[in-house]
Amino acid sequence: MTKYLPLLAGAFAALGFIAPVVAQQDAITVYNAQHESLAQEWATAFTEETGIPVILRQGSDLEVANQILQEGANSPADVFLTENSPGMALVDKAGLFEPLPADLLAQVPAEFRPENGNWTGIAARSTVFAYNKDKLTEADLPKTMAELADPKWQGRWAASPSGADFQAIVAAYLALEGEEATLSWLKGMAANAVIVRGNRAALAATNNGEVDGALIYHYYWFGDQAGTKENSDKAALHYFGNEDPGAFVSISGGGVLASSQHKEEALAFLSFITGKGQDVLRDGTSFEYAVGVDHASNPALPPLADLGAPKIDPSQLDNAKAAELMTEAGLL
Amino acid sequence: MLQLSGLTKTYGDQPGVDRVDLAAPSGSRTVIVGPSGSGKTTLLRLIAGFETPDAGNITLDGRPLDTVPPHQRNIAYVAQEGALFPHMSVAENIGFAIPRQASNRESRIDTLLARVGLSAAMKSRRPHELSGGQQQRVALARALAQQPALMLLDEPFSALDTGLREAMRDMVEAVLREAGIASILVTHDQSEALAFADHLVVMRDARIADAGQPQRLYEQPIDIETAKFLGETIIFEAAIRGGVADTPLGPLAVDHSDTAKATILVRPEQVRIAENGTLARILHSSYRGAARRLELECQSAGHFSIDVPAATSLTQGDSVCLAVNGRGHVFRSR
Amino acid sequence: MAIGEVIEAQRPRTLRVPRGGSHSAIFLAAGITGLLSLLPLLFVLYVAVTSGWDTIADLVLRPKVAALLLNTAALLLLVLPLSATLAVACAWLIERTDLPLARLWSWLMVAPLALPAFVHSYAWSAFAPRFHGLGAAVLVSILAYLPFVYLPVAAQLRRLDPALEETAQSMGKAPLAVFFRIVLPQLRLAILGGGLLIGLHLLAEYGLFVLTRFDTFATVIVDQFQSVYNGPSANLLGGVLVLLCLGLLGLETGLRGDERYARVGTGAARQRRRVMLGRWKWPALALLTAFALLSLAVPILTLSRWLIAGGAEIWRLDFILPALGQTATLAFAGAALTTLAALPMAWLTVRAPSRMQKLLEAAHSYVGALPGVIIALALVTVTVNVALPLYQTIATLLFAYALMFLPRALVGLRTSIAQAPVELERAALSLGRKPVSAIWHTTVRLAAPGALASAALVGLGITTELTATLMLAPNGTRTLAMRFWSYTSELDFAAAAPYALLMIVLSIPLVVLLHAKADRADQA
Repeated sequence: MTKYLPLLAGAFAALGFIAPVVAQQDAITVYNAQHESLAQEWATAFTEETGIPVILRQGSDLEVANQILQEGANSPADVFLTENSPGMALVDKAGLFEPLPADLLAQVPAEFRPENGNWTGIAARSTVFAYNKDKLTEADLPKTMAELADPKWQGRWAASPSGADFQAIVAAYLALEGEEATLSWLKGMAANAVIVRGNRAALAATNNGEVDGALIYHYYWFGDQAGTKENSDKAALHYFGNEDPGAFVSISGGGVLASSQHKEEALAFLSFITGKGQDVLRDGTSFEYAVGVDHASNPALPPLADLGAPKIDPSQLDNAKAAELMTEAGLL
Repeated sequence: MLQLSGLTKTYGDQPGVDRVDLAAPSGSRTVIVGPSGSGKTTLLRLIAGFETPDAGNITLDGRPLDTVPPHQRNIAYVAQEGALFPHMSVAENIGFAIPRQASNRESRIDTLLARVGLSAAMKSRRPHELSGGQQQRVALARALAQQPALMLLDEPFSALDTGLREAMRDMVEAVLREAGIASILVTHDQSEALAFADHLVVMRDARIADAGQPQRLYEQPIDIETAKFLGETIIFEAAIRGGVADTPLGPLAVDHSDTAKATILVRPEQVRIAENGTLARILHSSYRGAARRLELECQSAGHFSIDVPAATSLTQGDSVCLAVNGRGHVFRSR
Repeated sequence: MAIGEVIEAQRPRTLRVPRGGSHSAIFLAAGITGLLSLLPLLFVLYVAVTSGWDTIADLVLRPKVAALLLNTAALLLLVLPLSATLAVACAWLIERTDLPLARLWSWLMVAPLALPAFVHSYAWSAFAPRFHGLGAAVLVSILAYLPFVYLPVAAQLRRLDPALEETAQSMGKAPLAVFFRIVLPQLRLAILGGGLLIGLHLLAEYGLFVLTRFDTFATVIVDQFQSVYNGPSANLLGGVLVLLCLGLLGLETGLRGDERYARVGTGAARQRRRVMLGRWKWPALALLTAFALLSLAVPILTLSRWLIAGGAEIWRLDFILPALGQTATLAFAGAALTTLAALPMAWLTVRAPSRMQKLLEAAHSYVGALPGVIIALALVTVTVNVALPLYQTIATLLFAYALMFLPRALVGLRTSIAQAPVELERAALSLGRKPVSAIWHTTVRLAAPGALASAALVGLGITTELTATLMLAPNGTRTLAMRFWSYTSELDFAAAAPYALLMIVLSIPLVVLLHAKADRADQA
């Protein structure tokens, strides 16, 4: 046995080195910060249609964005997908995106993509206040997101500040209300909020009555309702509306890296997502809003246009500042 | 005074100790000797209280010990290799049984160290830094420190080198005698037993085979097994007439009345080479320094060995005449 | 630091080989491994030096870090004494009393090791969703890590010379006093070693504390990593974490001193008498039953519930099989690489001890005390900045595994090499073999079974490794642990269940190996 041990080790190591190299020959590498299941559906459908294999690398928005920044021109990534805009904005600011052709951009209305056309929206999600129906009546609900920093909400609501989702909401607050107001709101939050990890955990805490409500994105509730209802049977959604920061609609983005060695395939993939791939959002269980021109969202969702979201250019969302303020408030 | 009566302990269907009666007077040095598995260690552990007897009872100075746990018996126990506490220094080991608040604690430790022949420099040493003999000395000092009513020693010298063993034995004997503490020592080494004991107990198959003064046991053992266990033997059968046995080695005075057939014990050291007497042939002669050992074949008494002065000129193949000193011992029972 | 080291307590006897140039090749190999082991430490130093005082002050001297220190201190101060007490109590009951079914209990005490810590917390967060925070973190940590201190304590209890306790008893000490003055002090090394192991795991663990919603340095570093990749904040918090780990190592070394609590003397320990529990039998059984229920029944029932609720749907073989394949490949390759990397050092330790060797060995051993998150941070930064071809490759991931599990391999190899007679090497040399060849064909051959066992321990460690794998895995890699974690963090407990089950099944050999090792230890 010992005689073969080094041989075995060598074989495995060789396998390890070769496997990704071989795989990368004709495949595109997608740095994915969207939900893995959604990206997987897109990738599978795309490969079926075009025969181009897709390798997914999973991470969170800003982790992957910063990773791309570090890798710079040597990044193995061809495509970058996020859940929220700040990650895209970060990579864009570093000038690492390939400008997108007009026909690709035209597949998504201008309101769901940045003006410079370096990346595009692929889906959208709305901020909501999920609440426990046994603990709050409609009259008790906060009218604005700012209200949640009020001492009367102490210990009564949950959020996941370590996630990119929430950081996008903070970035929107910052864009709408300015630095001072944001910091003071964050300090109120630090005093009031029950900190959890992940929107689903925040929803679960609401549903099991640990807190009265949670500041999350809408689709977690819909996804759970469509499944076991384990974490949402006692919960309902409250949309802030009125262009309140709490009605912020976050754009998930997709872009092609300028350093990509497979630009054509990468563009085809992005074009697929913003075109035909939008049907996955209508038919699947992601419950994120479709943003493609003439593409419907899941019928269970209230229309995106009726949500009263504040207007923000997604490329203006400054996550670095948001994270800095959150660190200062002790949330990170 | 320690008294055991009808003491019995069984392990499964294996008898450990079977109906043992024993008395050890205050200040006495009792040695229990026997082959391994004879029950001697079990007996010691019963006395210490580490085991509970199935039947019988133990009294110490009139106090029944049946329900007394080991730590209230005031019986010291010195284990085979000393069982020094490895996490304590020599001084802490010796002082283990001396109350911390005792005002003379330090001086008592010093005295005890001196009594077992160790220098005060040893006090801060750890057990693993000591030699086997030193470890045993510390163990003894530690046991003495508790001023026990009785001291049990479980094969205390078995791990030591031969030379060291004798010196330690003499030291322990002297220390115990001075302190006036009764002791029971367990060993499988009969010469150690004979040298140490003023009261010797031979155990075999979980029972006491014979007990008494060492000299009596050596010279007049109760049975052949005991005789063989305590030393080398020459055994033969003979008729006794007028207090004299008619033996293959010639007429021999014995400690028994007349009978047609008796089993008689003679120790080889009673046999000497004489001018005339029974004829024997030297099968082998080996030089032993102080003496020369002759392996003899005597037609009627079989093979045995005797020691003669080393200067002898006798060699292999020579014939010699043998005579017997003293008396022969007749076994009462078989 | 590895569990095997703690169980064995006594280092194997070393046999010196006459010095000469003959093993310079081996020394070189061990030297290279030793230097590579220093990489994470150099990284942390580099970060500290290049960040400058202002950055450090901004990122380290802030309330959040104080809160994390407080959390860490609370965790250590609660989990360590409670685990030690519980482990000693259970070990004593199982090894020293007439408790019924002692053999079964001793297996049940070790069985929780088959569940990776994050599977324990997965079960608890599904079983009791509202149970979280310090209380949950402490409870689940104890349940998951108790075997680390139970195993060495039980082994040491069996090894203790019964004559010590009997002698102390005969000297007038009541049983309770004997326990505290004689038995407990001699369990000190076992308790310290096991405690250190638990402490290091508490500092390194990520998944367990995320699910119990308890912030530690490891969770916050990963948060930071996921917010800004290897930004200065993650790196500097990593520095603090390294200091904590080294502090824990130093504390243990200081408390241990250079004591040696081996048996003095050579005689075989006598079969000891077991304490009669009498009416205490029921409370004792209740204690052990409670531990078994909490540490085994809760996870198994929860997992079964999700497996049943999930039905056939959760067995997505198109995901599970590749994950299994990738996990197995990584485990095999990692175990082989780690074992080979540890081999020169293990040989030097046994055959050519010297001051230089001690230094090298320290470099090999300390790296095992570092959390996966630190090693991953270091390797990400180093590869992305100066060794780009190695960036995001299996090679880097395997290298991380080798660093993390080096001590585990070293312990097993050291023991088995020490058992191979040095005379064979000399005989081979005298027959004209070159030194390395002589060693390879004699000692290495004879040490192979032991080496395979320690390689298996490494492989099992890799199978359930999460943090470093998350941060370093090449594109497209999805191991069992990664898939499990991805589903669990979305609270999709049902979809995560098959992965948990597979990891448990794969970890059962770990339990068997460690239990057997502890059984052998008392005969050493």
